[in-house]
Amino acid sequence: MGQYLEQPLSWTNGLIFAGAAVALLGIVLFFVMYAIFFQRKILGWMQLRIGPNRVGPWGLFQTVADVFKLLLKEDIIPKKADKALFIIAPVLAFVPSFLVLAVMPFTENWHFADIGGGLLFYLAISSLTVIGVITGGWASNNKYGLIGAMRGAAQMISYEIPLVLSVVGIILMTGSLNLIDIVEKQQSMGVWFAFAQLPAFIIFIIAQLAELGRSPFDLLEAESELISGYHVEYSGFRFAFFMLTEYVYIFAMASLTTVLFLGGWSPMFGLDFIPGIIWFALKMGAIVFFIFWLHATMPRIRIDQLMKLGWKVLIPLALLNIFITAIVKTAFM
Amino acid sequence: MAALYANNYLIVAIFLFLGILLPVGALTFGRLLRPHNPTTVKRETYESGLEPFGSSWVQFNVKYYIFAIMFVIFDVETIFLYPWAVAYDQLGLFALVEMLIFIALLVIGLIYAWKKKVLEWN
Amino acid sequence: MSGQYIAFFILSLLTISGAIFMISFNRVIHMVVALAFTFLSIAGLFILLEAEFVGLTQIMVYSGGVSVLMLFGIMLTQHSKVERSEQKPALRIFTFAGILAFFVAVFYGIQKTPWSQEAVDYSTQNNVKEIGVQLYNNYVIPFELVSVLLLVALIGGIIMAKKEADDE
Repeated sequence: MGQYLEQPLSWTNGLIFAGAAVALLGIVLFFVMYAIFFQRKILGWMQLRIGPNRVGPWGLFQTVADVFKLLLKEDIIPKKADKALFIIAPVLAFVPSFLVLAVMPFTENWHFADIGGGLLFYLAISSLTVIGVITGGWASNNKYGLIGAMRGAAQMISYEIPLVLSVVGIILMTGSLNLIDIVEKQQSMGVWFAFAQLPAFIIFIIAQLAELGRSPFDLLEAESELISGYHVEYSGFRFAFFMLTEYVYIFAMASLTTVLFLGGWSPMFGLDFIPGIIWFALKMGAIVFFIFWLHATMPRIRIDQLMKLGWKVLIPLALLNIFITAIVKTAFM
Repeated sequence: MAALYANNYLIVAIFLFLGILLPVGALTFGRLLRPHNPTTVKRETYESGLEPFGSSWVQFNVKYYIFAIMFVIFDVETIFLYPWAVAYDQLGLFALVEMLIFIALLVIGLIYAWKKKVLEWN
Repeated sequence: MSGQYIAFFILSLLTISGAIFMISFNRVIHMVVALAFTFLSIAGLFILLEAEFVGLTQIMVYSGGVSVLMLFGIMLTQHSKVERSEQKPALRIFTFAGILAFFVAVFYGIQKTPWSQEAVDYSTQNNVKEIGVQLYNNYVIPFELVSVLLLVALIGGIIMAKKEADDE
């Protein structure tokens, strides 16, 4: 991909870009299907159940069947809903989740846009999803939907601040916002930022779980009290797009964590003969597994605890981490 | 405009286009497959099996207000941190002091909010 | 360069139509969604001008701002469609004169600004780093004043929220 980016644009190159983007979309959709499958399997094993096992061998085609079921379901728009916004909301939520992948480097050769402000691009675009969530919750004209959307908005905006602050330490050490530069810096230092920036890593993981609305921060869905929150009135494929958004974000967030903190595609233990893309997939898979694992073990946090943790613990800690990093850097300069 | 920059944002535009195309295309295509039989009962708003009571578009609670205001302010603050962190190599000790003053003022605001107990959720 | 013109055309169309829809819609959430399109298109225009950092900042700050505006719209306004009251003709003329004066001032300002004749190519430089060096070397006082401004806004917001909460 790298050499095509340097060349002036021609029709061939444009088609190569488009083809690569479509291929990535296919990979992401495949990932989402099997991430949902493995989530159900893993939760099943952890709760001493079998999990899905009816459709295909070991239930492998369960999610495929689910997708077709959703596609064939009747599309119900409530009479009282705000029709235009009801239709637009899943699109508003989904578009940023896929758009952020445009700057994600998977290996030094397999990457898409290599823009100078890649990290800022990711953070800026991903903050757009909250607009889709509020719009969807409000347009449904449903009390649970609106409460879920309001809670979701309060949670997402509160945890965006620690998320954005936690990575400043990495930017300080790298001196660049470019995601490829960040990986190369980790290679040249010989240590992952997960260790060099341990407080940032912990804050980032917590804040990213809250942004994703995953357990223990799944208050915006909260099946037992809000019956799945902002998308309660959605059915069929419109619901599927909210679901898809959530899992594409898992893909994107796991990739971003790998790039920022786990050295991206760089190999471990000097095992250079294994290609970088495999290392990337392994590290990313480990994070995805960690997210599902938390789902099985953590109870849901209370909303007052959630706000207290965000504003009174994570933000001061993130600020402190920035200054310690800056002082250490000045001392060694 | 340099080729690299233009190509990068062309890719971003392609991703944007695909991201819009997928939901629009899937929902349009799905219209051919799915049944369409809306009835009055089906189109009723869900409310735990009860008859929906009033509209849900009501005025809402004020406790979200302060988090929203604080978010906007801290969002602007973090934006200032980014160019500082990127250019820190060329700035040195003076920039550290500058940023310390900047952050200290905002931390005063945070402490003030803390003491006024507006960060509580009750 | 035609690709750039097409992008400029689409983005400016979206900017203007978002702004017009924002004024003409009746429900506050519709207005805010239209406003979001305007802000995002402006970010696109910045990126087209090779001001990458400004464009991304625009998305980051205004997407947050828009979602906050939505929350306020839900919290603080009546949602039944409001009938627009007919304005008096005198007021209408006065409004029109005000807008005209504003337009003339802006147009005159743009005409009088000495633009450098040569276009500068920023796309190959590290945009963010240049902004950082400029901001923290040459514009230290404005930067520190910004923090005072933010502090005042924060404390003002807290005092107002506190008052509202006590009234309930």
